[in-house]
Amino acid sequence: MSNNINNVTANRETALHVMKEKDMNQVNKTAKIMKVLGYIAVYAFLILMAFIVLFPFYWMIISSLKSWQEYNLAVPTLWPQVIHFENYAVALERANLERVFGNTVYVGVVSTLLSLIITILSAFAFARLEFKGRDALFAGLLATMMIPGELFTITNYQTTFYFGWGDTSKWGFTILIVPFLVSTFYIYLLKQNFLQIPNELYLAAKVDGVSDFKYLWKVMIPLAFPTIISITILKMMGAWNTYVWPNLVIKDKDYLLVTNGIREGDYSVAGAVDMVNYPLQMAAVAMVSIPLFMVFLFFRKYIMKGVSRSGIKG
Amino acid sequence: MKRIFSLLLVLTMVFSLSALVACGKTAPGWQLGDATFDPNAEVTITFYSTMGTTTLAPVADAAIERFMEMYPNITVIHEQPGDYDTVRDTIKTELTVGAHPNLAYCYPDHVAMYNRSGKVITLDQFIDHAEYGLTDAQKADFIEGFYNEGKQFGDGFMYTLPFSKSTEVLYYNKTFFAEHGLKVPTTWDEMEEVCRQIKAIDPNCIPLGYDSEANWFITMTEQYKSGYTSATGNHYLFDNETNRAFVERFARWHSEGLMTTQELNGGYTSSLFVNQDPTLPKSYMSIGSSAGATHQRPDKVDGAYPFEVGITSIPQVDAKNPKVISQGPSLVLLDTGDTQENIAAWLLMRFLTTDVELQAEFANASGYVPVLKSVTEISTFKEKLDNANGGDNIAYLSMKVCLEQEKYYYTSPAFNGSSTARDQVGALMKYCMENYTTHKNAGTIDKLIDEAFKNAINECESQL
Amino acid sequence: MVDSKQQWKAWLYLAPALILLAIFTVWPILNTSIMAFQEGYNEMDALRLGRWGFPIGLGNFERVLNYSKFWSALQNTLILCIPTVLISTLLALIISVCLNSIKPLQRFLQTIYFLPYVTNSLAIGMVFAAMFNIVGTTAAENPVISTYGIINNIIMMFGGDPINWINAGSTYETKLIVVMIYIIWNALPFKILILLGALQSVNKQYYDAAKIDGTGKVRTFVRITIPLLSPMITYVVITGFIGGFKEYSSVVGIFDDAMARTGQLNTMVGLIYTSITNSNTGVASAAALILFAIIFVITMINLAISKKTTYY
Repeated sequence: MSNNINNVTANRETALHVMKEKDMNQVNKTAKIMKVLGYIAVYAFLILMAFIVLFPFYWMIISSLKSWQEYNLAVPTLWPQVIHFENYAVALERANLERVFGNTVYVGVVSTLLSLIITILSAFAFARLEFKGRDALFAGLLATMMIPGELFTITNYQTTFYFGWGDTSKWGFTILIVPFLVSTFYIYLLKQNFLQIPNELYLAAKVDGVSDFKYLWKVMIPLAFPTIISITILKMMGAWNTYVWPNLVIKDKDYLLVTNGIREGDYSVAGAVDMVNYPLQMAAVAMVSIPLFMVFLFFRKYIMKGVSRSGIKG
Repeated sequence: MKRIFSLLLVLTMVFSLSALVACGKTAPGWQLGDATFDPNAEVTITFYSTMGTTTLAPVADAAIERFMEMYPNITVIHEQPGDYDTVRDTIKTELTVGAHPNLAYCYPDHVAMYNRSGKVITLDQFIDHAEYGLTDAQKADFIEGFYNEGKQFGDGFMYTLPFSKSTEVLYYNKTFFAEHGLKVPTTWDEMEEVCRQIKAIDPNCIPLGYDSEANWFITMTEQYKSGYTSATGNHYLFDNETNRAFVERFARWHSEGLMTTQELNGGYTSSLFVNQDPTLPKSYMSIGSSAGATHQRPDKVDGAYPFEVGITSIPQVDAKNPKVISQGPSLVLLDTGDTQENIAAWLLMRFLTTDVELQAEFANASGYVPVLKSVTEISTFKEKLDNANGGDNIAYLSMKVCLEQEKYYYTSPAFNGSSTARDQVGALMKYCMENYTTHKNAGTIDKLIDEAFKNAINECESQL
Repeated sequence: MVDSKQQWKAWLYLAPALILLAIFTVWPILNTSIMAFQEGYNEMDALRLGRWGFPIGLGNFERVLNYSKFWSALQNTLILCIPTVLISTLLALIISVCLNSIKPLQRFLQTIYFLPYVTNSLAIGMVFAAMFNIVGTTAAENPVISTYGIINNIIMMFGGDPINWINAGSTYETKLIVVMIYIIWNALPFKILILLGALQSVNKQYYDAAKIDGTGKVRTFVRITIPLLSPMITYVVITGFIGGFKEYSSVVGIFDDAMARTGQLNTMVGLIYTSITNSNTGVASAAALILFAIIFVITMINLAISKKTTYY
């Protein structure tokens, strides 16, 4: 065994020696070419995947600019024959977006903040604290994710009524926010991220007499910041996409959210009310995607910044 | 234990049934009795519809304003929770806490489901009421087939009133038919003949497009009187020789390239019908919703329509006893436990279904067929019907055909499972059509048809 | 001493989450689980018969297991779940690592990979119809075709024969492939977001060390990146499996609702939806409990595997 290794090493050394004796530049050149080829492969892969991933977004935009007739052509066109920007104006008028916009931002921000606090505390407990029944409790938490959520709707509807939140002119935001504050999905996500951070740091901090909160605030949160931002984005997006629950519980139109605005907009085709004018609906959908996209652009740098600034040694 | 329970259940059922018969049929649910409406007490009622907020709701809201002037103590809240399924799901959930509306848009299968809760108000007590009821003239004014939908629940009671309806009509390329001296088909035999003639003229065409397999199947069972479903007893009656025969016939048509449906074509059949691109296949007949007439009209080329659209009733089995489907929303009353609300909701229901002016305006805005025959007496409406044509006034041409065939309408029984039956017969028809060619080559067509019917019945009976 | 203090603290930190979960998650689960054992429980009937007006027994489970499409729905669920989770995770991992390794265009590409996330699901379903859909009578003896669709056009450009993916007369296998592509594609953006975020939490020093040692790229990926990311990969896989078993919307996205219910590709959650729509909550809960049992076993297996391979 050791003989073998010695042989290999010896062979390598000889080989290297031979190479060195040959033109050293040649080797560098080959390595360089390989490196460039590797980069080309990486870029080609990323750009190809980008095209695939981007296609529906592209489709959404071109559909929103088509006429209803063109949209229904047997052979779909890849670019609108005539660009109908007015679809956006009509959609804006029909979709009732002004009022729902503020509501969505409010619900999004409040529920994200509250949800983050709950998530961070729980994830910290699961990732760093030792307590009886931790694993069993966590398994139970995971188990709740395994039941289709649609089954909860009627019971939760009854519960909120029991609490008196059915009077949505008073409890509109409460009924929208509270039932969805806790997501085991995010607790699990953050717990896993906390697990990436070496435990020694926590033990060291304990020895130094640093309080939990200080440690959480100064070490854990900065290190897990990209994930926390991801959760923020996901939660905001939740407020943007939620439809069934608000549509069911909200009777006071002052509390409706964006997707309700889009779905309840009137996109019927003149003279044929059973038909949906998809180009108009796509225009409405594209419009409400814009703020979401801005939020992402704003947060992206935080996701990508990573841990370089914290200067912690692993 | 289970056995005892089921035995008890059967016994209770037998008892309650005999009790029902003994009393000479007592209407289920809330009873009006001697209660009267207090015109001075403030009452607020809620109405759910699927009306589009910019096109149809304003028409209804204007009428509701008129209603509230007639009954100053009634306030009406008109809400649009979403499409038909959303309205159903919302009401279903709201019923569990008593937060449901007083009056709602409905399809018969929704009512069959709500009715299990005992919260649906039977309408006979109102319709025949001396003070709040319908006059004989009002009753006779309803298109009979539409009106009878309310009685399709198996117990003889009236549960819904029709609000606005649509049906299927045959759109044909009038210009092409005239050019080639073709006869517009009135029976399915003639239809087959015309399809073959058209296919000979234009081999790269699909002569006929049919929107919905399910409608086709159900309509054929009515035309043949061969049995589809029943609201009582054994629900699923559609597996029989007659039905198997027409399914095989139409599957053969499809295989021979004579016809297609929306799902088999993978795109709107109306797109085939209005197609003007000579490189792409066309169709020359299209059977689809009467409310989608503008969709069956080609785009103008150089300021004129490239061909004229003709509209007529769909082909029949027996031209002497024609049957066409009836679709579209009806209205249902739900009990909220408050007598005043219940009566007020009935008054609104009566108003919405019998106000001729509203019926005409709503038809105008939606392309749906009004449910009252007397709309044609309104001069503006009559004028539009008289000027109906296959071009700019195509929606009225469609409506005219629908009003002329007022004696043809049928409705299907409604019960828990009626929507599954509908899904299943549509699926079975489609399945036979899409697999016909393969089975023909293998000589196993009988097996295909047998399998499809058995599977559909099995699915209906074991449904969750 | 420290131990008991930790106990106390842990429950305090968990309290807000646990209280809300108890009310809005655990209670609904318990409530509907009881209904699973009430034979023929139906929300509408319950208004007339009362909450306890149904016999106790296993009838709901029997009905689910006797349903003619139960086994095919279960099979579809498994087939649609397992391969798609593995493939999408691997793809997302490769894309994230590649994205992380480049300099020029990095921000631009990251932005692009995020766009699907803000694309409404309505649009995503429709684009698939347009890509794989053949308009024409594909099942007739002499098909009359309007268009073969974008994917077939590409295949034909390279000299291949068009494939009937999802239209009349297509096979179970091709339909399945399209739904699987759809699911993978739908799952990618989220996984990329999570893994890219996680890559940023990895200490750069490990890589610097690898560089100094002259370790190759692939070796670095297998020996350093994957172990360091293992908690997040575990997360993505486990939540992917849990979500994958609840798959239905993508089937509806490609085939419409009625077709998804009556067609060959119905899934377990499709069955549950149907019974919820019919307000047969008892049967829906029974089906959900059966599904739960399956997911639970699979998740436990997953966790056992991940415990062996996770490096923390």
